[in-house]
Amino acid sequence: MDTPFISAADVNIHYGTKQALFGIDLDIQANKVTALIGPSGCGKSTFLRAINRMNDLIPACRFDGSLKIGGQDIYHPSVDVVALRAQVGMVFQKPNPFPKSIFENVAYGLKIHKLTSSKQELGDRVEWSLKSAGLWDEVADRLNDPGNSLSGGQQQRLCIARTIAVSPRVILMDEPCSALDPIATAVIEELIDGLRQEYTIVIVTHSMQQAARISQRTAFFHMGKLVEVGSTKSVFTNPREEQTSNYITGRIG
Amino acid sequence: MENAHIVTRFDKDLDRIKTRVLEMGDLVSAQMSQATDLLQVFDAPEAARLIARDRKVNGMAKNIQTRAERLIALRQPVALDLRAALSPINIAFELERIGDHAKSCAKSARKLAEAPADSAALQIVLEMSALVQVMLSDVLTAYDHSDTDLAADVRARDKLVDRLNKTMFETGVGSITAAPADAPAFVHKILLARNFERVGDHIVNIARHVHKIVTGEDLKASDRGFATGKSTL
Repeated sequence: MDTPFISAADVNIHYGTKQALFGIDLDIQANKVTALIGPSGCGKSTFLRAINRMNDLIPACRFDGSLKIGGQDIYHPSVDVVALRAQVGMVFQKPNPFPKSIFENVAYGLKIHKLTSSKQELGDRVEWSLKSAGLWDEVADRLNDPGNSLSGGQQQRLCIARTIAVSPRVILMDEPCSALDPIATAVIEELIDGLRQEYTIVIVTHSMQQAARISQRTAFFHMGKLVEVGSTKSVFTNPREEQTSNYITGRIG
Repeated sequence: MENAHIVTRFDKDLDRIKTRVLEMGDLVSAQMSQATDLLQVFDAPEAARLIARDRKVNGMAKNIQTRAERLIALRQPVALDLRAALSPINIAFELERIGDHAKSCAKSARKLAEAPADSAALQIVLEMSALVQVMLSDVLTAYDHSDTDLAADVRARDKLVDRLNKTMFETGVGSITAAPADAPAFVHKILLARNFERVGDHIVNIARHVHKIVTGEDLKASDRGFATGKSTL
Protein backbone atom coordinates (compact mmCIF):
# COMPACT_ATOMS: atom_id res chain seq x y z
CA MET A 1 0.00 0.00 0.00
CA ASP A 2 1.34 3.44 -0.95
CA THR A 3 1.70 6.12 1.72
CA PRO A 4 -1.56 8.09 1.78
CA PHE A 5 -1.43 11.70 0.65
CA ILE A 6 -4.80 12.52 2.17
CA SER A 7 -5.63 10.82 5.43
CA ALA A 8 -8.97 11.05 7.20
CA ALA A 9 -9.29 9.60 10.69
CA ASP A 10 -12.54 9.35 12.63
CA VAL A 11 -14.15 12.18 10.67
CA ASN A 12 -17.60 13.15 11.90
CA ILE A 13 -19.55 15.99 10.34
CA HIS A 14 -22.79 17.44 11.64
CA TYR A 15 -25.14 19.90 9.96
CA GLY A 16 -26.73 21.38 13.05
CA THR A 17 -28.17 18.41 14.94
CA LYS A 18 -28.07 16.11 11.94
CA GLN A 19 -24.97 13.94 11.64
CA ALA A 20 -23.89 13.58 8.00
CA LEU A 21 -20.69 11.56 8.41
CA PHE A 22 -19.92 8.91 11.02
CA GLY A 23 -16.31 8.15 11.96
CA ILE A 24 -14.83 8.09 8.48
CA ASP A 25 -11.35 6.59 8.22
CA LEU A 26 -10.12 6.91 4.67
CA ASP A 27 -6.65 7.09 3.14
CA ILE A 28 -6.26 8.52 -0.35
CA GLN A 29 -3.11 7.85 -2.33
CA ALA A 30 -1.22 10.44 -4.35
CA ASN A 31 -1.41 10.43 -8.14
CA LYS A 32 -4.42 8.21 -8.19
CA VAL A 33 -8.05 8.90 -8.97
CA THR A 34 -10.24 7.95 -6.01
CA ALA A 35 -13.96 7.73 -6.73
CA LEU A 36 -16.51 8.32 -3.99
CA ILE A 37 -19.75 6.53 -4.79
CA GLY A 38 -23.02 5.98 -3.00
CA PRO A 39 -26.69 6.94 -3.12
CA SER A 40 -27.85 10.53 -2.73
CA GLY A 41 -27.46 11.76 0.82
CA CYS A 42 -24.82 9.16 1.71
CA GLY A 43 -22.25 11.81 2.64
CA LYS A 44 -19.84 11.49 -0.27
CA SER A 45 -20.09 15.14 -1.29
CA THR A 46 -19.88 16.21 2.35
CA PHE A 47 -16.64 14.26 2.65
CA LEU A 48 -15.35 15.75 -0.61
CA ARG A 49 -16.06 19.28 0.56
CA ALA A 50 -14.34 18.55 3.87
CA ILE A 51 -11.08 18.06 1.98
CA ASN A 52 -10.85 21.74 1.06
CA ARG A 53 -12.99 22.97 3.93
CA MET A 54 -15.79 24.14 1.69
CA ASN A 55 -18.12 23.02 4.49
CA ASP A 56 -16.78 25.91 6.56
CA LEU A 57 -19.05 28.13 4.45
CA ILE A 58 -22.10 26.38 5.93
CA PRO A 59 -22.70 28.05 9.33
CA ALA A 60 -24.23 25.04 11.11
CA CYS A 61 -21.59 22.60 9.87
CA ARG A 62 -19.35 21.08 12.52
CA PHE A 63 -16.24 18.97 11.85
CA ASP A 64 -14.67 16.50 14.28
CA GLY A 65 -11.74 14.21 13.69
CA SER A 66 -8.56 14.55 11.72
CA LEU A 67 -8.00 15.28 8.06
CA LYS A 68 -4.42 15.58 6.87
CA ILE A 69 -3.03 16.44 3.48
CA GLY A 70 0.64 15.69 2.96
CA GLY A 71 0.86 15.12 6.71
CA GLN A 72 -0.55 18.56 7.59
CA ASP A 73 -3.74 18.82 9.63
CA ILE A 74 -5.92 21.03 7.43
CA TYR A 75 -8.30 21.79 10.30
CA HIS A 76 -5.54 23.18 12.51
CA PRO A 77 -6.35 26.80 13.52
CA SER A 78 -3.14 28.02 11.88
CA VAL A 79 -4.21 26.86 8.43
CA ASP A 80 -4.94 29.61 5.88
CA VAL A 81 -8.12 28.36 4.24
CA VAL A 82 -7.63 30.49 1.12
CA ALA A 83 -4.17 29.03 0.61
CA LEU A 84 -5.57 25.56 1.31
CA ARG A 85 -8.16 25.98 -1.45
CA ALA A 86 -5.42 26.95 -3.88
CA GLN A 87 -3.70 23.68 -3.00
CA VAL A 88 -6.94 21.73 -3.14
CA GLY A 89 -8.84 22.87 -6.20
CA MET A 90 -12.40 21.97 -6.99
CA VAL A 91 -14.41 21.35 -10.12
CA PHE A 92 -18.17 21.38 -9.74
CA GLN A 93 -21.09 19.55 -11.26
CA LYS A 94 -22.14 22.43 -13.46
CA PRO A 95 -19.41 24.33 -15.32
CA ASN A 96 -19.17 27.71 -13.63
CA PRO A 97 -16.85 29.99 -15.60
CA PHE A 98 -16.55 33.52 -14.29
CA PRO A 99 -18.31 36.19 -16.38
CA LYS A 100 -14.94 37.08 -17.86
CA SER A 101 -12.91 36.22 -20.92
CA ILE A 102 -11.40 32.78 -21.42
CA PHE A 103 -7.96 34.24 -20.63
CA GLU A 104 -9.15 36.02 -17.49
CA ASN A 105 -10.91 32.92 -16.20
CA VAL A 106 -7.59 31.11 -16.05
CA ALA A 107 -5.53 34.15 -15.06
CA TYR A 108 -7.85 35.09 -12.17
CA GLY A 109 -6.44 32.69 -9.56
CA LEU A 110 -2.88 33.42 -10.64
CA LYS A 111 -3.50 37.12 -10.10
CA ILE A 112 -5.23 36.94 -6.70
CA HIS A 113 -2.61 34.53 -5.36
CA LYS A 114 0.14 36.64 -7.01
CA LEU A 115 1.70 33.54 -8.52
CA THR A 116 3.26 35.22 -11.55
CA SER A 117 5.61 38.17 -11.70
CA SER A 118 5.18 39.42 -15.24
CA LYS A 119 2.61 39.68 -17.99
CA GLN A 120 4.69 37.26 -20.06
CA GLU A 121 4.78 34.72 -17.25
CA LEU A 122 1.05 35.12 -16.72
CA GLY A 123 0.41 34.49 -20.42
CA ASP A 124 2.68 31.45 -20.41
CA ARG A 125 0.96 30.01 -17.37
CA VAL A 126 -2.51 30.54 -18.89
CA GLU A 127 -1.35 28.84 -22.09
CA TRP A 128 0.16 25.94 -20.12
CA SER A 129 -3.04 25.52 -18.10
CA LEU A 130 -5.25 25.55 -21.18
CA LYS A 131 -2.95 23.05 -22.87
CA SER A 132 -2.97 20.81 -19.79
CA ALA A 133 -6.76 20.92 -19.81
CA GLY A 134 -6.80 19.95 -23.49
CA LEU A 135 -8.50 23.21 -24.47
CA TRP A 136 -5.73 25.33 -25.98
CA ASP A 137 -6.16 24.22 -29.59
CA GLU A 138 -9.85 25.09 -29.45
CA VAL A 139 -9.51 28.56 -27.90
CA ALA A 140 -6.02 29.84 -28.78
CA ASP A 141 -7.41 32.30 -31.34
CA ARG A 142 -10.25 33.59 -29.15
CA LEU A 143 -8.83 34.03 -25.68
CA ASN A 144 -10.75 37.28 -25.25
CA ASP A 145 -14.13 35.70 -25.94
CA PRO A 146 -16.36 35.26 -22.88
CA GLY A 147 -15.81 31.99 -21.03
CA ASN A 148 -19.50 31.24 -21.11
CA SER A 149 -19.52 31.39 -24.92
CA LEU A 150 -17.90 27.95 -24.93
CA SER A 151 -19.81 24.65 -25.10
CA GLY A 152 -20.59 22.84 -21.83
CA GLY A 153 -17.68 20.43 -22.20
CA GLN A 154 -15.30 23.25 -23.10
CA GLN A 155 -16.53 25.29 -20.12
CA GLN A 156 -15.82 22.35 -17.81
CA ARG A 157 -12.31 22.03 -19.25
CA LEU A 158 -11.91 25.80 -18.78
CA CYS A 159 -12.82 25.30 -15.11
CA ILE A 160 -10.23 22.52 -14.90
CA ALA A 161 -7.66 24.84 -16.51
CA ARG A 162 -8.59 27.51 -13.95
CA THR A 163 -8.12 24.98 -11.16
CA ILE A 164 -4.73 23.66 -12.25
CA ALA A 165 -3.38 27.13 -13.09
CA VAL A 166 -2.62 27.75 -9.42
CA SER A 167 -0.66 24.49 -9.12
CA PRO A 168 -2.86 22.58 -6.72
CA ARG A 169 -1.75 19.25 -5.32
CA VAL A 170 -5.26 17.88 -5.11
CA ILE A 171 -8.22 18.27 -7.45
CA LEU A 172 -11.68 17.56 -6.11
CA MET A 173 -14.40 16.89 -8.65
CA ASP A 174 -18.09 16.82 -7.77
CA GLU A 175 -19.89 15.01 -10.60
CA PRO A 176 -17.91 16.94 -13.21
CA CYS A 177 -19.55 15.24 -16.20
CA SER A 178 -23.17 15.03 -15.09
CA ALA A 179 -24.16 17.98 -17.30
CA LEU A 180 -22.14 16.83 -20.32
CA ASP A 181 -22.90 14.68 -23.35
CA PRO A 182 -21.06 11.36 -23.83
CA ILE A 183 -18.41 12.83 -26.13
CA ALA A 184 -17.59 15.75 -23.83
CA THR A 185 -17.62 13.27 -20.94
CA ALA A 186 -15.10 11.04 -22.73
CA VAL A 187 -12.83 14.05 -23.32
CA ILE A 188 -12.97 15.00 -19.63
CA GLU A 189 -12.38 11.41 -18.54
CA GLU A 190 -9.33 11.17 -20.79
CA LEU A 191 -8.13 14.46 -19.34
CA ILE A 192 -8.59 13.20 -15.76
CA ASP A 193 -6.54 10.12 -16.55
CA GLY A 194 -3.72 12.33 -17.80
CA LEU A 195 -3.96 14.78 -14.88
CA ARG A 196 -3.48 12.09 -12.28
CA GLN A 197 0.18 11.88 -13.23
CA GLU A 198 0.58 15.30 -11.60
CA TYR A 199 -2.31 15.57 -9.16
CA THR A 200 -4.20 13.56 -6.60
CA ILE A 201 -7.79 13.45 -7.75
CA VAL A 202 -10.92 12.70 -5.74
CA ILE A 203 -14.13 12.48 -7.69
CA VAL A 204 -17.74 12.10 -6.66
CA THR A 205 -19.83 10.45 -9.31
CA HIS A 206 -23.24 8.83 -9.59
CA SER A 207 -22.14 6.97 -12.68
CA MET A 208 -20.90 3.51 -11.74
CA GLN A 209 -19.43 3.12 -15.21
CA GLN A 210 -17.54 6.38 -14.89
CA ALA A 211 -16.12 5.40 -11.49
CA ALA A 212 -15.07 2.06 -12.96
CA ARG A 213 -13.53 3.69 -16.03
CA ILE A 214 -11.49 6.45 -14.50
CA SER A 215 -10.60 5.64 -10.90
CA GLN A 216 -7.97 3.39 -9.43
CA ARG A 217 -9.62 3.27 -6.02
CA THR A 218 -13.26 3.42 -5.06
CA ALA A 219 -14.90 4.22 -1.74
CA PHE A 220 -18.56 3.33 -1.19
CA PHE A 221 -20.52 5.49 1.27
CA HIS A 222 -23.94 4.67 2.65
CA MET A 223 -25.96 6.67 5.17
CA GLY A 224 -22.94 8.68 6.26
CA LYS A 225 -20.68 5.68 6.75
CA LEU A 226 -17.80 4.38 4.70
CA VAL A 227 -18.89 0.85 3.86
CA GLU A 228 -15.98 -0.26 1.73
CA VAL A 229 -12.86 1.10 0.09
CA GLY A 230 -10.52 -0.77 -2.19
CA SER A 231 -9.08 -0.98 -5.64
CA THR A 232 -11.70 -0.10 -8.24
CA LYS A 233 -11.03 -3.45 -9.87
CA SER A 234 -11.95 -5.36 -6.73
CA VAL A 235 -14.91 -3.16 -5.74
CA PHE A 236 -16.51 -3.55 -9.17
CA THR A 237 -15.69 -7.22 -9.65
CA ASN A 238 -15.89 -8.79 -6.24
CA PRO A 239 -16.93 -6.33 -3.53
CA ARG A 240 -16.36 -7.52 0.02
CA GLU A 241 -19.54 -6.06 1.46
CA GLU A 242 -23.04 -7.10 0.49
CA GLN A 243 -24.23 -3.49 0.71
CA THR A 244 -21.64 -2.51 -1.90
CA SER A 245 -22.65 -5.40 -4.13
CA ASN A 246 -26.32 -4.48 -3.86
CA TYR A 247 -25.58 -0.87 -4.75
CA ILE A 248 -23.27 -1.39 -7.72
CA THR A 249 -25.49 -4.07 -9.22
CA GLY A 250 -28.63 -1.98 -8.84
CA ARG A 251 -30.33 -4.21 -6.30
CA ILE A 252 -32.59 -3.23 -3.47
CA GLY A 253 -30.30 -3.57 -0.46
CA MET B 1 -30.45 -14.09 -6.62
CA GLU B 2 -31.02 -13.12 -3.00
CA ASN B 3 -32.05 -9.56 -3.82
CA ALA B 4 -34.00 -8.47 -6.85
CA HIS B 5 -32.72 -5.76 -9.13
CA ILE B 6 -34.52 -2.43 -9.05
CA VAL B 7 -34.85 -2.87 -12.82
CA THR B 8 -36.95 -6.06 -12.77
CA ARG B 9 -36.45 -6.61 -16.50
CA PHE B 10 -32.76 -7.27 -15.76
CA ASP B 11 -33.69 -10.20 -13.50
CA LYS B 12 -36.04 -11.52 -16.17
CA ASP B 13 -33.29 -11.32 -18.81
CA LEU B 14 -30.82 -13.15 -16.56
CA ASP B 15 -33.39 -15.81 -15.66
CA ARG B 16 -34.29 -16.31 -19.31
CA ILE B 17 -30.68 -16.98 -20.28
CA LYS B 18 -30.25 -19.35 -17.35
CA THR B 19 -33.36 -21.24 -18.43
CA ARG B 20 -31.90 -21.58 -21.95
CA VAL B 21 -28.66 -22.98 -20.49
CA LEU B 22 -30.60 -25.51 -18.42
CA GLU B 23 -32.67 -26.50 -21.45
CA MET B 24 -29.47 -26.99 -23.42
CA GLY B 25 -28.09 -29.04 -20.53
CA ASP B 26 -31.17 -31.27 -20.59
CA LEU B 27 -30.78 -31.88 -24.32
CA VAL B 28 -27.07 -32.67 -23.95
CA SER B 29 -27.86 -35.04 -21.06
CA ALA B 30 -30.37 -36.83 -23.26
CA GLN B 31 -27.79 -37.05 -26.05
CA MET B 32 -25.28 -38.60 -23.63
CA SER B 33 -27.82 -41.09 -22.35
CA GLN B 34 -28.92 -42.15 -25.84
CA ALA B 35 -25.33 -42.42 -27.07
CA THR B 36 -24.61 -44.76 -24.15
CA ASP B 37 -27.66 -46.87 -25.04
CA LEU B 38 -26.26 -47.20 -28.57
CA LEU B 39 -23.07 -48.69 -27.14
CA GLN B 40 -25.12 -51.54 -25.75
CA VAL B 41 -27.65 -51.99 -28.53
CA PHE B 42 -26.65 -50.29 -31.75
CA ASP B 43 -29.51 -48.79 -33.73
CA ALA B 44 -28.37 -47.09 -36.97
CA PRO B 45 -31.45 -44.83 -37.49
CA GLU B 46 -31.34 -43.74 -33.84
CA ALA B 47 -27.60 -43.01 -34.16
CA ALA B 48 -28.30 -40.90 -37.28
CA ARG B 49 -31.01 -38.94 -35.43
CA LEU B 50 -28.66 -38.33 -32.50
CA ILE B 51 -25.91 -37.09 -34.80
CA ALA B 52 -28.37 -34.77 -36.57
CA ARG B 53 -29.63 -33.40 -33.22
CA ASP B 54 -26.15 -32.10 -32.45
CA ARG B 55 -26.91 -29.22 -34.81
CA LYS B 56 -29.73 -28.23 -32.48
CA VAL B 57 -27.27 -28.31 -29.55
CA ASN B 58 -24.90 -26.05 -31.49
CA GLY B 59 -27.78 -23.70 -32.34
CA MET B 60 -28.75 -23.44 -28.68
CA ALA B 61 -25.16 -22.52 -27.76
CA LYS B 62 -25.17 -19.78 -30.39
CA ASN B 63 -28.50 -18.48 -29.15
CA ILE B 64 -27.26 -18.32 -25.56
CA GLN B 65 -24.12 -16.48 -26.67
CA THR B 66 -26.19 -13.92 -28.59
CA ARG B 67 -28.55 -13.34 -25.66
CA ALA B 68 -25.67 -12.97 -23.19
CA GLU B 69 -23.85 -10.51 -25.46
CA ARG B 70 -27.01 -8.45 -25.82
CA LEU B 71 -27.60 -8.43 -22.07
CA ILE B 72 -24.02 -7.30 -21.39
CA ALA B 73 -24.24 -4.56 -24.01
CA LEU B 74 -27.58 -3.22 -22.80
CA ARG B 75 -27.32 -3.66 -19.02
CA GLN B 76 -23.57 -3.21 -18.48
CA PRO B 77 -23.55 -5.57 -15.51
CA VAL B 78 -20.77 -5.59 -12.91
CA ALA B 79 -19.50 -7.98 -10.23
CA LEU B 80 -21.87 -10.91 -9.59
CA ASP B 81 -24.15 -9.79 -12.41
CA LEU B 82 -21.29 -9.69 -14.89
CA ARG B 83 -20.24 -13.19 -13.92
CA ALA B 84 -23.86 -14.34 -14.15
CA ALA B 85 -24.10 -12.78 -17.62
CA LEU B 86 -20.77 -14.12 -18.90
CA SER B 87 -21.03 -17.63 -17.49
CA PRO B 88 -23.82 -18.79 -19.83
CA ILE B 89 -21.42 -18.23 -22.75
CA ASN B 90 -18.76 -20.37 -21.06
CA ILE B 91 -21.16 -23.04 -19.83
CA ALA B 92 -22.87 -23.28 -23.22
CA PHE B 93 -19.43 -23.75 -24.79
CA GLU B 94 -18.70 -26.65 -22.43
CA LEU B 95 -22.13 -28.19 -23.08
CA GLU B 96 -21.64 -27.84 -26.80
CA ARG B 97 -18.37 -29.77 -26.50
CA ILE B 98 -20.09 -32.46 -24.42
CA GLY B 99 -22.66 -32.66 -27.22
CA ASP B 100 -19.81 -33.21 -29.66
CA HIS B 101 -18.55 -36.08 -27.51
CA ALA B 102 -22.04 -37.64 -27.48
CA LYS B 103 -22.00 -37.44 -31.29
CA SER B 104 -18.55 -39.06 -31.39
CA CYS B 105 -19.79 -41.77 -29.05
CA ALA B 106 -22.70 -42.52 -31.41
CA LYS B 107 -20.24 -42.78 -34.31
CA SER B 108 -17.98 -45.08 -32.26
CA ALA B 109 -20.98 -47.25 -31.36
CA ARG B 110 -21.24 -48.36 -35.00
CA LYS B 111 -17.58 -49.44 -35.05
CA LEU B 112 -17.94 -51.11 -31.67
CA ALA B 113 -20.94 -53.09 -32.90
CA GLU B 114 -18.81 -54.41 -35.75
CA ALA B 115 -15.91 -55.38 -33.44
CA PRO B 116 -15.62 -58.56 -31.36
CA ALA B 117 -17.53 -58.38 -28.08
CA ASP B 118 -15.45 -57.38 -25.05
CA SER B 119 -17.77 -57.11 -22.09
CA ALA B 120 -15.02 -56.14 -19.60
CA ALA B 121 -13.90 -53.15 -21.62
CA LEU B 122 -17.48 -52.15 -22.41
CA GLN B 123 -18.32 -52.33 -18.72
CA ILE B 124 -15.61 -49.78 -17.93
CA VAL B 125 -16.92 -47.43 -20.62
CA LEU B 126 -20.50 -47.81 -19.39
CA GLU B 127 -19.39 -47.14 -15.83
CA MET B 128 -17.63 -43.96 -16.98
CA SER B 129 -20.73 -42.90 -18.89
CA ALA B 130 -22.97 -43.48 -15.85
CA LEU B 131 -20.63 -41.40 -13.70
CA VAL B 132 -20.46 -38.45 -16.09
CA GLN B 133 -24.21 -38.48 -16.67
CA VAL B 134 -24.86 -38.09 -12.94
CA MET B 135 -22.11 -35.46 -12.74
CA LEU B 136 -23.74 -33.55 -15.61
CA SER B 137 -27.14 -33.66 -13.96
CA ASP B 138 -25.67 -32.51 -10.64
CA VAL B 139 -23.60 -29.70 -12.12
CA LEU B 140 -26.70 -28.33 -13.85
CA THR B 141 -28.51 -28.45 -10.50
CA ALA B 142 -25.54 -26.68 -8.90
CA TYR B 143 -25.73 -23.99 -11.60
CA ASP B 144 -29.48 -23.63 -11.18
CA HIS B 145 -29.26 -23.23 -7.39
CA SER B 146 -25.84 -21.52 -7.17
CA ASP B 147 -24.76 -24.49 -5.04
CA THR B 148 -20.97 -24.35 -4.66
CA ASP B 149 -20.89 -27.41 -2.36
CA LEU B 150 -22.54 -29.58 -4.99
CA ALA B 151 -20.23 -28.10 -7.64
CA ALA B 152 -17.21 -29.02 -5.46
CA ASP B 153 -18.57 -32.56 -5.06
CA VAL B 154 -18.91 -32.87 -8.84
CA ARG B 155 -15.30 -31.71 -9.30
CA ALA B 156 -14.10 -34.32 -6.82
CA ARG B 157 -15.95 -37.11 -8.60
CA ASP B 158 -13.99 -36.52 -11.78
CA LYS B 159 -11.05 -38.35 -10.21
CA LEU B 160 -13.07 -41.58 -10.48
CA VAL B 161 -13.64 -40.96 -14.15
CA ASP B 162 -9.93 -40.31 -14.67
CA ARG B 163 -9.07 -43.48 -12.80
CA LEU B 164 -11.38 -45.56 -14.97
CA ASN B 165 -9.89 -44.00 -18.07
CA LYS B 166 -6.44 -45.01 -16.87
CA THR B 167 -7.66 -48.54 -16.15
CA MET B 168 -9.14 -48.71 -19.65
CA PHE B 169 -5.88 -47.55 -21.18
CA GLU B 170 -3.81 -50.11 -19.25
CA THR B 171 -6.28 -52.90 -20.04
CA GLY B 172 -6.30 -51.89 -23.70
CA VAL B 173 -2.52 -51.80 -23.98
CA GLY B 174 -2.33 -55.24 -22.34
CA SER B 175 -4.96 -56.63 -24.71
CA ILE B 176 -3.26 -55.16 -27.79
CA THR B 177 0.05 -56.71 -26.70
CA ALA B 178 -1.66 -60.07 -26.22
CA ALA B 179 -3.67 -59.95 -29.47
CA PRO B 180 -2.17 -57.45 -31.93
CA ALA B 181 -4.67 -58.42 -34.63
CA ASP B 182 -7.51 -56.96 -32.52
CA ALA B 183 -5.67 -53.68 -31.96
CA PRO B 184 -8.13 -51.48 -33.96
CA ALA B 185 -11.08 -52.64 -31.82
CA PHE B 186 -9.19 -51.95 -28.58
CA VAL B 187 -8.06 -48.55 -29.84
CA HIS B 188 -11.74 -47.63 -30.42
CA LYS B 189 -12.56 -48.58 -26.83
CA ILE B 190 -9.59 -46.61 -25.50
CA LEU B 191 -10.72 -43.59 -27.51
CA LEU B 192 -14.26 -44.05 -26.31
CA ALA B 193 -13.08 -44.04 -22.70
CA ARG B 194 -11.02 -40.97 -23.50
CA ASN B 195 -14.21 -39.41 -24.85
CA PHE B 196 -15.97 -39.80 -21.50
CA GLU B 197 -12.87 -38.63 -19.66
CA ARG B 198 -13.04 -35.41 -21.70
CA VAL B 199 -16.76 -35.10 -20.91
CA GLY B 200 -15.79 -35.27 -17.22
CA ASP B 201 -13.30 -32.44 -17.78
CA HIS B 202 -15.96 -30.24 -19.42
CA ILE B 203 -18.31 -30.91 -16.50
CA VAL B 204 -15.52 -29.92 -14.10
CA ASN B 205 -15.13 -26.68 -16.05
CA ILE B 206 -18.84 -25.99 -15.61
CA ALA B 207 -18.50 -26.70 -11.88
CA ARG B 208 -15.66 -24.17 -11.73
CA HIS B 209 -17.84 -21.61 -13.49
CA VAL B 210 -20.57 -22.19 -10.87
CA HIS B 211 -18.02 -21.55 -8.11
CA LYS B 212 -16.80 -18.41 -9.86
CA ILE B 213 -20.29 -17.00 -10.38
CA VAL B 214 -21.05 -17.28 -6.68
CA THR B 215 -17.69 -16.39 -5.13
CA GLY B 216 -15.79 -14.48 -7.81
CA GLU B 217 -12.88 -16.84 -7.23
CA ASP B 218 -11.20 -18.51 -10.18
CA LEU B 219 -10.55 -22.13 -9.28
CA LYS B 220 -8.62 -23.06 -12.39
CA ALA B 221 -5.23 -22.24 -10.84
CA SER B 222 -5.97 -23.62 -7.36
CA ASP B 223 -7.33 -26.90 -8.76
CA ARG B 224 -3.96 -27.39 -10.39
CA GLY B 225 -2.16 -26.79 -7.12
CA PHE B 226 -1.20 -23.19 -7.84
CA ALA B 227 -2.09 -20.20 -5.71
CA THR B 228 -5.76 -19.32 -5.79
CA GLY B 229 -6.45 -16.92 -8.63
CA LYS B 230 -8.84 -14.09 -7.93
CA SER B 231 -11.46 -13.22 -10.47
CA THR B 232 -10.68 -10.64 -13.07
CA LEU B 233 -14.35 -10.23 -13.86
